Amino acid sequence: MTRKAAIVGGNRIPFARSGSAYARASNQDMLTATLDGLVARFGLQGVQLGEVVAGAVLKHSRDFNLTRESVLGSQLAARTPAYDVQQACGTGLEAAVLVANKIALGQIESGIAGGVDTTSDAPLAVNDDLRRVLLQVASARTVQQRLKALAGLRPGQVVPDLPRNAEPRTGLSMGEHAAVTARQWEIGRAEQDELAVASHRNLAAAYDRGFFDDLVTPYLGLTRDENLRPDSNVEKLAALGPVFGGEDGTMTAGNSTPLSDGASAVLLASDEWAAARDLPVLAHLVDAQTAAVDHVHGGEGLLMAPVHATPVLLARNGLSLQDFDFYEIHEAFASTVLATLKAWEDPAFCKEKLGLDVPLGAVDRSKLNVNGSSLAAGHPFAATGGRIVAALAKQLHEAGPGKRGLISICAAGGQGVVAILES
Amino acid sequence: MGSAAPGDAAGRTELASAPSLPALFARAAVTARGRGGDLPTTRLARTGVRADQQQLAGYARVCGFGLSDVLPPTFPHVLAFPLQVALMSDRAFPLALPGLVHVRNRIDALRPIGTGEALDLEVWAERFARHRSGATVDLCASVSADGAEVWRGRSTYLARGATPPDGAPEAEVTVEVGDVPDGTIRWLVDGDTGRRYAKVSGDVNPIHLSGLTAKAFGFKRAIAHGMWVAARALAALEGRLPAAASVDVAFRKPLFLPSTVTLATAEVGGGWDLAVRNADTGAEHLLGTVRPR
Repeated sequence: MTRKAAIVGGNRIPFARSGSAYARASNQDMLTATLDGLVARFGLQGVQLGEVVAGAVLKHSRDFNLTRESVLGSQLAARTPAYDVQQACGTGLEAAVLVANKIALGQIESGIAGGVDTTSDAPLAVNDDLRRVLLQVASARTVQQRLKALAGLRPGQVVPDLPRNAEPRTGLSMGEHAAVTARQWEIGRAEQDELAVASHRNLAAAYDRGFFDDLVTPYLGLTRDENLRPDSNVEKLAALGPVFGGEDGTMTAGNSTPLSDGASAVLLASDEWAAARDLPVLAHLVDAQTAAVDHVHGGEGLLMAPVHATPVLLARNGLSLQDFDFYEIHEAFASTVLATLKAWEDPAFCKEKLGLDVPLGAVDRSKLNVNGSSLAAGHPFAATGGRIVAALAKQLHEAGPGKRGLISICAAGGQGVVAILES
Repeated sequence: MGSAAPGDAAGRTELASAPSLPALFARAAVTARGRGGDLPTTRLARTGVRADQQQLAGYARVCGFGLSDVLPPTFPHVLAFPLQVALMSDRAFPLALPGLVHVRNRIDALRPIGTGEALDLEVWAERFARHRSGATVDLCASVSADGAEVWRGRSTYLARGATPPDGAPEAEVTVEVGDVPDGTIRWLVDGDTGRRYAKVSGDVNPIHLSGLTAKAFGFKRAIAHGMWVAARALAALEGRLPAAASVDVAFRKPLFLPSTVTLATAEVGGGWDLAVRNADTGAEHLLGTVRPR
């Protein structure tokens, strides 16, 4: 038995800039509030769902069961099982794929996929050298052993390890990696700034036409994404200095996503379950694909894995890149989106790296990120997938039956998740 | 009450800001002797009060509530409490504040209250009652938003050895709960719990702050705030509380800090019966009921 999982709807809280409106909220606070918003929207009080799957990228060790604990604090039935996933920025979309697959296999009838992240309430680790000393002290059996272990203490160890947005195997931050790719693909400053402006303009317009009224629930005083600058323009963005890629770099704070806090959740179900509850079906999750690149030794761009995942997904579904009405390409950085588009158009790259005789070709830019994306909304890592899935499903539903959308999300570790939705 | 407007004919006095609790506790201590007579008819009020978001976040963390857009059902008590202390520390109040023991607390949460709502508070004292070991008094609070009452609180305090006026009614300090067998919820209540709750609630009564200050008032160790125990118990039911509820808790044996206690819950008629007990001795610290309204 396989069937396509329906996307019933979604809910998220407005995304906040780091250290701002949600500075005192934990991942569990935000995920619980987001689940409760979804519960309220679809009348799920006391309802036992098949499964809730969510995750966070920056996670305290005490939050090992973050999703289950959030379910227990929510108004869902306590008997709803839950588990955590983590695939960096791919977490939210991967969670939706996992829920959809179980629905497709008939293992569950309904489920919620979500994600949450905070860079404000991020875990601080004890300095690693101090941690080793303390563990030795704890395992010491004699006073002598304990004293010997304590002799390893050094003043510098009191400085905690701050979580860093850096790749463990390269030491480069994500932005520095993206700057390398931007240079490789000769992505210009102006086109990045234009993409950023379009993101702000589209997101603001979507808010203004009420598109997010049934997708976003206010939280802690925020009603819209805090990073949104409706009056953003290329002149303002052109004035910003580069933050990645050195003095002649093209990537600025304006065309890179800011650190942000937020959570999102998507309700998925079988068509039967939705119909039995008089709930809408906005779209179906048709298929998904992951891929990974060797950004460490292979000379490939850290955030370019979706470029590889997409042709596999298209081939399996007998589709071309142009067979879509909407494209959601996660804006980790404006340059990432532009490099992705350029790679798909490049005959040599498509031939050598993707094994395609004909390049995938161009994407109609008027169909790209039509309701804004991460540059404007912000990007609380694991929450981005749920934001995109719910918004795209609603956009497809509005456009009418048989419309198709492609989602592409890049992730740390050289990974990518892509998926097809259809109304 | 420097900024207080003069009371009106009905004895209602409006305060422009929350009175300072440490100052009130100090004044109550030095003016403890020589009190007596009947309850004052004074009502103290504040209007347009909004929860301080930082205090609220701290309160939620200390009590175990998640951070949401709705006030914890116990939080309005924290807003009204300074006014109640102002009333009790006034010389016109017949009982000495030091030594008053919080024995019962009732809350009617009439609807969820948004964290940003402007609230009007009014507090008064009533029901001076006869208790086998003294007298009790109820400190009441009414919280309104946009002219409609949204929350009511009634805190019953026991003054040991005090004499109620002639004809006083019998004190009502017990809460009837059904059979609430101990489950699996266990709290390790840290020694600094009283200080942590004092910081976020403003209730700096010395019996909660340290062993030394508690001894001065006849307790062998610092004891947890009753309202912290109640809040912690309600927080454990996060997501499972009726949107509008009546909460009634009786504070029984003092919860000495630190302690290990159990929380027992039993679902009753869309609400809950609760018991907080000492994990070692089984002594009851709190018995309570939550009922939908």
